[in-house]
Amino acid sequence: MRFILLALVALVLPAHAEDLSAKAWLENMSRALNQEQFKMSVIHLQADHIRPMVYLHGKVNGQEVAFLEHLNGPTKNAVRIGNTVTFIEHDQPAISINADRIQGLWPAIFAGNIAELESGYQFVLGGRSRIAGRPGQLIRFIPTDAHRYPLQVWLDMDTFLPLRYELLTDEKELLEQIMVVELIVLQEPAALLVEAAKQEWPPVVNQLDRHDGQNWNFSWLPQGYRIVARDHHRLMGSQEAVEYVALTDGIASISVYVGRAGSVPMPEELMTRNGLGLVTEKVGNAEVVAVGRVPMATLSRIIRSLTLDNPS
Amino acid sequence: MEKTGQEWVSASVDGETNRQTLAELAADTGSHATWQRYHLIGDAMRDELPQAMPLDLSSRIAAALELEPTVLAPKAASASMAADASSDAASQKSAVVVPFMRQLGQYGIAAAVALIAVVGVQNYQTADETQPLPVLNTRPLVGTATPVSLQTGPVVNQNQASNEQLLEQRRRINAYLQDHMLQQRLNSGVVVDDNTEETLIPVKR
Repeated sequence: MRFILLALVALVLPAHAEDLSAKAWLENMSRALNQEQFKMSVIHLQADHIRPMVYLHGKVNGQEVAFLEHLNGPTKNAVRIGNTVTFIEHDQPAISINADRIQGLWPAIFAGNIAELESGYQFVLGGRSRIAGRPGQLIRFIPTDAHRYPLQVWLDMDTFLPLRYELLTDEKELLEQIMVVELIVLQEPAALLVEAAKQEWPPVVNQLDRHDGQNWNFSWLPQGYRIVARDHHRLMGSQEAVEYVALTDGIASISVYVGRAGSVPMPEELMTRNGLGLVTEKVGNAEVVAVGRVPMATLSRIIRSLTLDNPS
Repeated sequence: MEKTGQEWVSASVDGETNRQTLAELAADTGSHATWQRYHLIGDAMRDELPQAMPLDLSSRIAAALELEPTVLAPKAASASMAADASSDAASQKSAVVVPFMRQLGQYGIAAAVALIAVVGVQNYQTADETQPLPVLNTRPLVGTATPVSLQTGPVVNQNQASNEQLLEQRRRINAYLQDHMLQQRLNSGVVVDDNTEETLIPVKR
């Protein structure tokens, strides 16, 4: 009996020694997303919409080149050469902006500094399962408070590339899912990427619309959230002038708007089917609106904490 | 004679006689009882006895035939149905009614399925209506980013506003939601952003 136990311990221990911490897995993922050359076929699922996409990533002349293509519907592609992302869309002139990731697939932080997420999430190793024909290791992101939604990621055990991503509500309802259906690791950059690197893309657009906003601040913010932008612009759809403050904790992002109250009152609280929440509070003849994919209570509390610092 | 009689009755029960001997047998009313018994024995041996046993079937058929008005006779229909039309005129009527009822049953099933389909679809649609999907696709006139469209859930309507107001409210909500999405794209140059990009979906009204 003792022998068997010893044998078991001997068998199990070395396996454990190899095991990485959840954070180490994620750091490996971040590195893999920047270093590996690969082609991913992906399904993006959100509020009963399914979108197939293909993502290519490689290195051409030492520069990162990536390409994201939406396979269904009108053309909607994005190319990234180094730190310039160009959107190529149906019926629109191509637009280049400064960005170090193509937005729309994995959260950009996945390829960034994972440590930034630690104040908002706890990383927990989960089980293993097979995804896209590959063994995957589950990493859960457990929120440290009630101000963000939990998520879970499965990483390829060979390359550490993400294979599946799920954003859930606190009731474990699925808000968004990204799932790889095929992953091909390449030794050479894909021909398309080499071609894209040679291509002449439109110059980066200056973000002229961005005017300095008022010095809005918050007397309280959930842990891990920080202000990433403050400006004054007109709403893209309605041309209403608003003061705008952007917050993020790395994964979730919140927009806070201060504008003149409209003729029609905004709903106090509203939840879209993809988990995007909107909370409004009327202050005098002004209207404060917060939008973000976080629990409603968080949005309400953030709005109530909004202050205007005197420019000194 | 008696023995040979039994034999040929037996043979005819087994269907091993020709038409002529069968006719002879039919004429010989004395052996009818034997004929019947043999059939009964055969049925019992094959375990095919009916629940209730109208022992003297032939005489009852004969009586029924006698009672039958001549006019109805052609309507008594096909030979195959003669067996069904066994006992009396009443059961003969039911023989006609049964297939009709059977058909009615089939219509009933079809109707029920159709009804379920209709009700189901209606329910499905109403469920959809209570959870509208105001998919907006407003293109900005100016701007550094391209438009995104949104799918939003039910609009919380607290004050039962008019249709026009509702539309205006929805328009404003979508302006905010859309702007939030667009800003992510712009912010992504500065910092990390979340993954809330939406694809272009034509306006559905």
